[in-house]
Amino acid sequence: MQTPTIAGSAQPTLTRGVRLQTDSKTGNSVLLFPEGVLELNETAQDIVSRCDGRTVGDIIQTLAEEYDVDLEMLAVDVRQTLADLQRRKLIELT
Amino acid sequence: MIAPRPYALLAEITYRCPLHCPYCSNPMKARNDQELTTNEWTRVIREAAALGVLQIGFSGGEPLARRDLPDLVRVAREANLYTNLITSGIGLDDDRVRALRDAGLDSVQLSFQSDNTDLADEIAGARAHQRKLDAAAKIRAAGIPLSLNFVIHRRNIDRLAEMIALAESLQAERVELANVQFYGWAFLNRAALLPTREQVVRAREIATAAKARLTGKIDIFYVLPDYYENRPKPCLNGWGQRYLTVNPIGEVLPCPTASSAIPDLRFENVRERALDWIWRESESFNRFRGTEWMPEPCQSCPQREIDFGGCRCQAALLTGNAANTDPVCDLSPNRARVDAVLNELNSSSDDARDWIYRANPKTLPTLEQVT
Repeated sequence: MQTPTIAGSAQPTLTRGVRLQTDSKTGNSVLLFPEGVLELNETAQDIVSRCDGRTVGDIIQTLAEEYDVDLEMLAVDVRQTLADLQRRKLIELT
Repeated sequence: MIAPRPYALLAEITYRCPLHCPYCSNPMKARNDQELTTNEWTRVIREAAALGVLQIGFSGGEPLARRDLPDLVRVAREANLYTNLITSGIGLDDDRVRALRDAGLDSVQLSFQSDNTDLADEIAGARAHQRKLDAAAKIRAAGIPLSLNFVIHRRNIDRLAEMIALAESLQAERVELANVQFYGWAFLNRAALLPTREQVVRAREIATAAKARLTGKIDIFYVLPDYYENRPKPCLNGWGQRYLTVNPIGEVLPCPTASSAIPDLRFENVRERALDWIWRESESFNRFRGTEWMPEPCQSCPQREIDFGGCRCQAALLTGNAANTDPVCDLSPNRARVDAVLNELNSSSDDARDWIYRANPKTLPTLEQVT
């Protein structure tokens, strides 16, 4: 898969009407939206919970420190997750 | 059989509705029992949340016909559910929009019959279209996310592009263009509603192009009329797997159309049993749960956990046995029954057929007369 081109300065936020919530049955995070539920894996949860006005660059930086992984690899993962969520209209990039 | 956890509850809170659409999802013979009270619904919503439900759709009938709708939305939000209102928009004045927003309503799905006023009102059997446009503006102004739902059929499928344009102009976030599926009233009116093959091919092209053009702007869901498919739809993601419906009189249904399509299935009522028991233990939820009930060709089919044998209601309506393979499947020994319907329609030049409205208005009534 090609790495999506999302600028480091872009600010991802949850689309209006999308809610991030803890599923009391599993303890995992879920995104709730009209007619849909998306269960988030740990990485996606870490990314989405930071979609609060920070830039993509900031999110990558914070996660790289937390995970102690290669910045380049992580940047690809984060951009792919964000592109997927944007395609599903669950986040917006401004 | 171990019951999975349900994700969504469809709360059909009333059968009352000012419209008369010939594909109405109400049962053909709606029972006249007393509707569940506010307290009963409150209990049902809390029990559903405890079972694991994350989404609730308030539907009907026209859910706005119940004055306690904002109270029920509030109960659902307090139980951490995502709340959808599925409505015709009739009765959505400024006060009610405000009350629903303040109650925490997450999203509105507003139904439209067409983009064209005359056609839309003819399909609805009531002068409703302008009211729907007004309702859309109020929903937008209140900042509630808006989906437009179009039921597609032979009389409006040629206007797909215009309907998508209406969704754009109303700034909807999401539009569902779902070809009518043939149960209940729609089954009765199938000869008037089923589109021709030519119409279906053209509509699919329009939907695909619009989907690509509007990616990231509007989510477009296009649902084919399944008679034209070769493999059945994965109905409900499997019987008793993710969804449950509670109807206005408290019956709990694995599928909203099951009560009229599968006459030998007996449904439990929330007035007599806890929702948890009904979901896990009842005969109606377990009858087609999993794969053990499946006959051939489903039983040995590699697709059996992908499409779950298709739709039980369709099997019942078209073959007389709800346990048969959905006859839409080209592996079904009954596929010829679907082909016969399609052949008859596509070889006939007779284009305009009458339908029967849910209730037969003598003339197009104004809404004041209807309600």
